[in-house]
Amino acid sequence: MDLKVGFFIQGVGGVTPVGATAEQTWDEVVRGAEAVRQPLPKGFGGRSYYYSAVPAKFTAAAGRQPRLRRSGTISLLGVTAGLAALADAGIQLEEAKKGAIVFAIACGGVDYTRRFYHEVLTEGANVASPLLFPETVYNAPASHLAALLKIDGRDYTLVGDSSVGLSALHFASQLLAVDPALPFCVVVGVEEADWVLADGFATWRMASNQTSFPVFGPRQGTILAESAAAVVLSRSGWLRLVETSAGLPFFSQKEAPAALADVVARVCNGRTPAGILSSANGTFADRVEEAVFASQFGSTPVYAHKPATGESLGASALLQLVLAKFALEQQKLPPTLHAGDRLQTVTRGVTEIHGNEVLISSVGFNQQVNAVLVGR
Amino acid sequence: MQRVFITGYGIVSPLGGDNAENLKSLRNGTDCVSPVTAFDVSKTRCRTAGQVTDEWLKEPMTRKNRRLDRSSLMMLQATREAIRTSGQFSPEIMVIATSSGGMSNGERFYRSLIEPTGRVGAAQAVANYMAQKPVLDVQEKFGWRIPAQIVSNACASGTNAIGHAFQLVRAGLYDSVICGGYDPLSELVFTGFDSLQAATPDKIRPFDRDRNGLVLGEGAAVLALESEKAAAARRATVLGEIVGYGVSTDNYHLTQPDPSGIGPKLAMKRALADAQLDPASVEYVNAHGTATVFNDATEGKAISELMPGVAISSTKSMMGHALGGAGAIEAVFSLLAILHQFIPPNINFRQPEPDWRFRVVGNEEEPAKIKRVLSNSFGFGGANATLVLQAAH
Repeated sequence: MDLKVGFFIQGVGGVTPVGATAEQTWDEVVRGAEAVRQPLPKGFGGRSYYYSAVPAKFTAAAGRQPRLRRSGTISLLGVTAGLAALADAGIQLEEAKKGAIVFAIACGGVDYTRRFYHEVLTEGANVASPLLFPETVYNAPASHLAALLKIDGRDYTLVGDSSVGLSALHFASQLLAVDPALPFCVVVGVEEADWVLADGFATWRMASNQTSFPVFGPRQGTILAESAAAVVLSRSGWLRLVETSAGLPFFSQKEAPAALADVVARVCNGRTPAGILSSANGTFADRVEEAVFASQFGSTPVYAHKPATGESLGASALLQLVLAKFALEQQKLPPTLHAGDRLQTVTRGVTEIHGNEVLISSVGFNQQVNAVLVGR
Repeated sequence: MQRVFITGYGIVSPLGGDNAENLKSLRNGTDCVSPVTAFDVSKTRCRTAGQVTDEWLKEPMTRKNRRLDRSSLMMLQATREAIRTSGQFSPEIMVIATSSGGMSNGERFYRSLIEPTGRVGAAQAVANYMAQKPVLDVQEKFGWRIPAQIVSNACASGTNAIGHAFQLVRAGLYDSVICGGYDPLSELVFTGFDSLQAATPDKIRPFDRDRNGLVLGEGAAVLALESEKAAAARRATVLGEIVGYGVSTDNYHLTQPDPSGIGPKLAMKRALADAQLDPASVEYVNAHGTATVFNDATEGKAISELMPGVAISSTKSMMGHALGGAGAIEAVFSLLAILHQFIPPNINFRQPEPDWRFRVVGNEEEPAKIKRVLSNSFGFGGANATLVLQAAH
């Protein structure tokens, strides 16, 4: 069942390789900026990959919180974005404790996980650091944000692939639907990256070893990035969730277009969005979206942010949603960097849109698709 | 508001490979903790765990089945049992929990990088690493194509997943949901608990005055939940009912509970309030009961204050702590307690803390008239959750 909701995005937050805030990220992608790609620290087998890091100064304030003094990058990013979304929503800390938290994560604290396991294998299980292990748990970032906000109620972490952000949004809608006393829900998507994760992607030919990648063109793989994006979902606001979905699975890449078409048809329900924010990332996902967009929305402009910011997995779908807010507000879509010629409607420069609704589409790398329609 | 019925259940745990074997071991108080065989434990303090026997997880040897991970095999087995007990159950969504997901596949992949054995199996390890993979494998096997929500709230995950599913059905958002959880044993997690000195080299002794730590376990369990309307429409046998769910977040510390017991107490109070029940109406608490000094102290304090005199046991004493699977496994054990009118034993129990005001059902099962059970799960990050299960009537 898709949830026909009366919920709104009351505030947005984000921290990405190109911006310390959601607004700065938007400004940079509109300007055509591309995140700096730096080599991931040395791995194995002579294979090298690039990624886009969030500059440390962007999360410095979170790092000064005593609770976060031993935390990894993923927690600093998640807390930074979550607090920013609350501030954007005008929710004071005293009021924040009445809300709920839902985090969306794909791979979690990969840096601490790798370090801990490396210690186990190379130095012995008896000397592995007890400081690292707790931060490897998927829900560590959510628990840190809950502690800072003094939330004593609902605090969930959802895991999945790069579509998990939209699943988390739907989950948050469900929380608001089943509990009329719950005023709002902070939904945070977050991810960090390391060499092992990039190599895992490369094993399935989904990671590029270049410093940029095309979308809707030759399939060269993606470049990972750190990021966090957050929204405050509440019962009032400027940006309306027209329709969300819990998503659908697919069991082979061949089946993926049908699954996405199904979800998109359900959330759009006959409406044509003014623009589409795509999850294209230089992998098979591009082919899936090309097929669906071309058949269902032949002339709707499509923007893909990942060539600019990188693929940030658990954060990426919510980052699309955050960018959608600005797109609707300013009635334009940024240019898609390195856009190939397989999809004619992809934005090649700043593109005006005319309408009140945009579609966010997400094709996960591990068998899940999702979409949401938002309107002003 | 819809009533939420349990119309099917399935479990695979160290206690057994199917529902019947689990019930038998649960009633007998079988100690299913044994020396770890899956990885090297020569350097850890704790060297035992509750383990699911490989023989219980056999699937026909097709090309596709050979790729299935242990987590997928456990989830398949549990789901098969749930479908068998529920009859023609057709779920609209799956809400499934895990804490460590495909961590053992992450380990396999990392070993393939640093050990001379090469990269055989590395690609499959990556595919099986994702936490949703066992859930999607189940869907593919059963011919379902439905949404999947994967909840990961550490050791409270299983209870959170069932609680969320319960709320969805109660609110009328869905009529039929498969919910539960899984977690396989993994070297990283095993070593992690050992590094925190939370694991014991001794027997696991929940609520014993001389308890000194947990042992880990593994397994999977699922429940088929249906609205009253849906269950009636297909004349399903109602096995039990979920009537309440409560959550709390304890912000004291990432890995340690607030000594005041406020986290567990709030979760239980909220679950009872959600069910509109008085604490005295609950006959049995299936406690989280990890047997660590601090966890049992806080849970014991909370139960003492909220439900003095109640009978409790920790079924982890028989199989260890299955983390994200624990809440689901213990929900099934709670259901079995209701269905068969007994309190499962808290084995390895010797003597209680002097100031606790509840009764630990130690070492042997106890026949009892049980109408309502509270099932507790508490985890890292201060994630606390409680379910209230009730007999069908």
